Amino acid sequence: MATNIAEPAADGAAAPNAHLLLEDRVWLMRAMLLMRGLEERAMTLYRQGKVPGSFYDGYGQEAVSAGAAFAMAPQDRLCILHRDLAAHLIRGVSPARILGQYMGRASGVTKGREGNVHFGDRELGCVGMVSMLPDMMLVATGMAMAFKLRGERRCAMTWFGDGSTSRGDFHEAMNWAGVQKLPVIFVLENNQYAYSTPIDKQFAVDPVEHAAAYGFVGETVDGNDVEAMFEAARTARERAITGGGPTLIEAVTMRMHGHAAHDDMKYVPKEQVEEWRKRDPIDRQEARLREAGVDVDALRAEVKAEIDAAAEEALAAPMPNPETAGEGVFCEGEAEPLGDGVARWSGFQS
Amino acid sequence: MTTLTYLQAISAALRDELRDDERVLIMGEDIGVFGGAFKVTDGFIDEFGPDRVMDTPLAESGIVGTAIGAAVVGMRPVCEMQFSDFISCGFDQLVNVAGKMHYRQGLAVPITVRLPSGGGFSGGPFHSQNPEAWFMHAPGIKVVAPSTAEDAKGLLHSAIRDPNPVCFMEHKHLYRRVKGEVPDGIFETPFSARVARPGSDLVVIAYGAMVPVALEATEDLDGASVEVLDLRSLVPLDEEAVLDSVERCSKVVILDEANSTCAAGAQVAALIAERGFESLDGPVIRVATPDVPIPFSPPLEQAVLPSVDRVKEACRELLAY
Amino acid sequence: MSSSRTDTLVDVTMPQMGVSVAEGTVVAWRVEVGDSIAADATICDISTDKIDTEVPSPVSGVVAELVVPVDTTVDVGTVLARISVDGAPALEELEAAADEPDAVSPDTTAPDRTKAQATETPLAANGSAPSRSGGGRRYSPVVQRIAAEHEVDLDLVPGTGRDGRVRKQDVLAFIDSGVTEEPPLHIESPYRPDPVAAPAPSAAPAPAGAIAGGGLSRMRRQIGEHMKRSLDTTATCTTWIEVDMSRVEAARRRLGVTALAFVARACIDALREHPALNAWLEGERYTQHHEVNLGIAVSLGEDGLIVPVIQGAHELSVEGLAARIKDVARRARSRELVPDEVRGGTFTITNPGQFGSIMATPIINLPQVGILDFEAVIKRPVVLTDSEGNDSIAIRPMTILGLSWDHRALDGALSAQFLAAVKRHLEGVV
Repeated sequence: MATNIAEPAADGAAAPNAHLLLEDRVWLMRAMLLMRGLEERAMTLYRQGKVPGSFYDGYGQEAVSAGAAFAMAPQDRLCILHRDLAAHLIRGVSPARILGQYMGRASGVTKGREGNVHFGDRELGCVGMVSMLPDMMLVATGMAMAFKLRGERRCAMTWFGDGSTSRGDFHEAMNWAGVQKLPVIFVLENNQYAYSTPIDKQFAVDPVEHAAAYGFVGETVDGNDVEAMFEAARTARERAITGGGPTLIEAVTMRMHGHAAHDDMKYVPKEQVEEWRKRDPIDRQEARLREAGVDVDALRAEVKAEIDAAAEEALAAPMPNPETAGEGVFCEGEAEPLGDGVARWSGFQS
Repeated sequence: MTTLTYLQAISAALRDELRDDERVLIMGEDIGVFGGAFKVTDGFIDEFGPDRVMDTPLAESGIVGTAIGAAVVGMRPVCEMQFSDFISCGFDQLVNVAGKMHYRQGLAVPITVRLPSGGGFSGGPFHSQNPEAWFMHAPGIKVVAPSTAEDAKGLLHSAIRDPNPVCFMEHKHLYRRVKGEVPDGIFETPFSARVARPGSDLVVIAYGAMVPVALEATEDLDGASVEVLDLRSLVPLDEEAVLDSVERCSKVVILDEANSTCAAGAQVAALIAERGFESLDGPVIRVATPDVPIPFSPPLEQAVLPSVDRVKEACRELLAY
Repeated sequence: MSSSRTDTLVDVTMPQMGVSVAEGTVVAWRVEVGDSIAADATICDISTDKIDTEVPSPVSGVVAELVVPVDTTVDVGTVLARISVDGAPALEELEAAADEPDAVSPDTTAPDRTKAQATETPLAANGSAPSRSGGGRRYSPVVQRIAAEHEVDLDLVPGTGRDGRVRKQDVLAFIDSGVTEEPPLHIESPYRPDPVAAPAPSAAPAPAGAIAGGGLSRMRRQIGEHMKRSLDTTATCTTWIEVDMSRVEAARRRLGVTALAFVARACIDALREHPALNAWLEGERYTQHHEVNLGIAVSLGEDGLIVPVIQGAHELSVEGLAARIKDVARRARSRELVPDEVRGGTFTITNPGQFGSIMATPIINLPQVGILDFEAVIKRPVVLTDSEGNDSIAIRPMTILGLSWDHRALDGALSAQFLAAVKRHLEGVV
């Protein structure tokens, strides 16, 4: 049967990660706080009718994207999914642009062309997701393929959910990556539910075991421990850039909110939710930081101020000009490849 | 100039691109060691190595999807579907990931997808299709279909150099049957139409393998002066060339080897009805394969694919109208 | 959008909780009118198909109005409450301005189809019976376009297409084979040169140098006698006047009728003003008529001439006259006229203009006192004088109307006035 709850490390008593300085650990917290705060603000805006369409968040899963993205170098490339907002923030997308994106403003990352988290700032090396999941696994595999062909020390990372492992592209990507031994990191966010479908209706075998079948390493990680996520991603990256091939990281976590804002998740047993609330990733990191003497309240205040400013900026931005609706179907000039993102980890600062 | 077959012209284009641009990568099933199902890439692996002439797993979605990934980090992948029919397995990646990426994210996807298309050799339903209309209908994808050796080379160069996803419809029937003079070196043919033969009494609009059919059917048609317009590019469609031919000839027969409903010719007919109405001296006639899967047995297959005789008959009737 | 500004009141509206959700129900109000509320604080609880949730206030202020009662289901976007705000928070105003392009005017409805139908394009009005389409013939768009550009009457173009259809090459060939100089503007005369019958074999040998042929036909002799008698009896004079036919040309194209019909109607109007021309003089007896029974001279080719009469022509409009003219001309040529149809005319019009002749001296049709001759319409340069007396040259389709009149019954001044009236009516056509 699929792993339901991974063994959590003892809260607060985890050995400090040798690769993380205090400032890195604070940054991880900041990324998670920013993600949660932005998503809460966006939810309020949604209920105020300012966010068209649907709204998705990654409440309770912040560590999965924060930890993993933190290990990515500027020259690495990311295919980020809809509950991974922290990855965008770590790469350098501003909160104001994110809120503008949700509200469909001209200032949003996609200028109103795409909604909610369907965005990727190409200048920061992120490819915007499509709704067909997990199509982006193949795109990440292809990026890794190019890196290997050119002999470059860089990797690609992609996130996808438990549900999407049922679709053909999961197999094609895993197989391709394994056959060609590519520098790609597959982050499987097992948050127990795909919309209303629990994992026991999704797979018969825990997907982490598929990795061996495709010829590479699969690792289960506590998805709510941001430092464990970082470590798993860092190790996977090492493996990738030294020719060790792909890694499948199964991050075990829980989707604490509904599939989207319009879903009240009545199908999730209350006990399950309560159990996972005790393992909230932000609470756990907060405990660590307090123990290390960090003023978490000040950090929270900073993040809130940042979000307030971002909301003000985003609300002031105009909607896109309808006359531009037909533009940009084709690239008329040169094809610009993805650019480099920001890298926060001290390990990348020279 | 060199006389090449249509197939040799495609090979030559790929070879020239691989030599000229280190970003170019060709990928597909059995294209490396085996040289390709139709031998288009025969010998390539010796010159360019297995990295750039890549034998991929049997995974069309994988081929298109990884090509997209490679393209957005600076490569110029040219993927081959062994038969155009198999693009259906990669439809999602092509239409939803590649086609929409620039509009949504401002990120260009410079991939070329080579699609050996068409029937006429008892390939049966899954080795004989002409799927271009599916991709004409999807925003963000260009579609070209050469009918001559020269255009096969020039359009392939243009496709590879285009920053957008391009479907290159290479018609299998023309591979070895069509020969022509091809300029040496790299040259780019624009995505426009070409008058294959000028005329004044009637114009037959066609592309791909239907162009030689049109030319043969109307070469000596009761002394009538029949123009043949080779569309060459389906997206973008050369509307001005179509309307110009219609204005001069006033009678139009549109030829599709693809299944009739919503084929490329249907779009051309709609364009003419809307913008060429004042020039028409008769109804716009379409000759196309009926809406049936392409059958295997020769008498059945020949009965459905548009023949020289069917085209002659349609032209005669319209000329007399 | 949840909030919009009206003065200092901010609306709180029912949000859309999910793409397919169209309505929601207010379950509980958390405030009362007069309460202060902070931005983002919950103002009410709602229930929708998908989820039960809270609605946060968009602004800080004082609750001014609770619009929707508890347990009421309303559409998404409905105003639930209003909050009164002090001062001018820039954010909300900017927001409302920013929302403007997005706002859909409630007046935007489906296009008014009845309006579209009522606006008849000239093509639509003309559609079923353009002047180019005679007797059920249809013409393709390109054929019509070419014919219009070259002012070709498609009725005259032989068709070599299916079922005698006029094809593009047919109209092009017709244009190419046309007369070297521009033909008279209209060729709608009822005169049609009938196919020439084979000449009867001559009985007597022709004198050397003479043209072979028999004597005059009986009909020809009868016509000749009638003509001679008229000249012997009446004091025939002819007066002419020039008429600018540009308005008639425009009108006849629009209505699809012949210019002759306009001339007929103008004559009728002029005859009503000058009944002295609408009279019979038989010996001493002089009768002026009130009704106009209009004779139209119809050529029967070699056989001669006949004048069928349109009884009660004064009651017909231009289109009516056109139809009757066409009808009597056809029946005259196919010898279907009955005796009553050639009697009782009070005035006659003759119209041999298709060959290009410009003037004639017609012979009066006894016992009438006047006959109008309508020849070719030719484009000429004419002098136009504007209201300030400046002259300029313009090109106009002109014709010369000739009136032969009986000096026994009237004199030149009256005939000139009559012609002037005809001219006035023709040049005033709308």
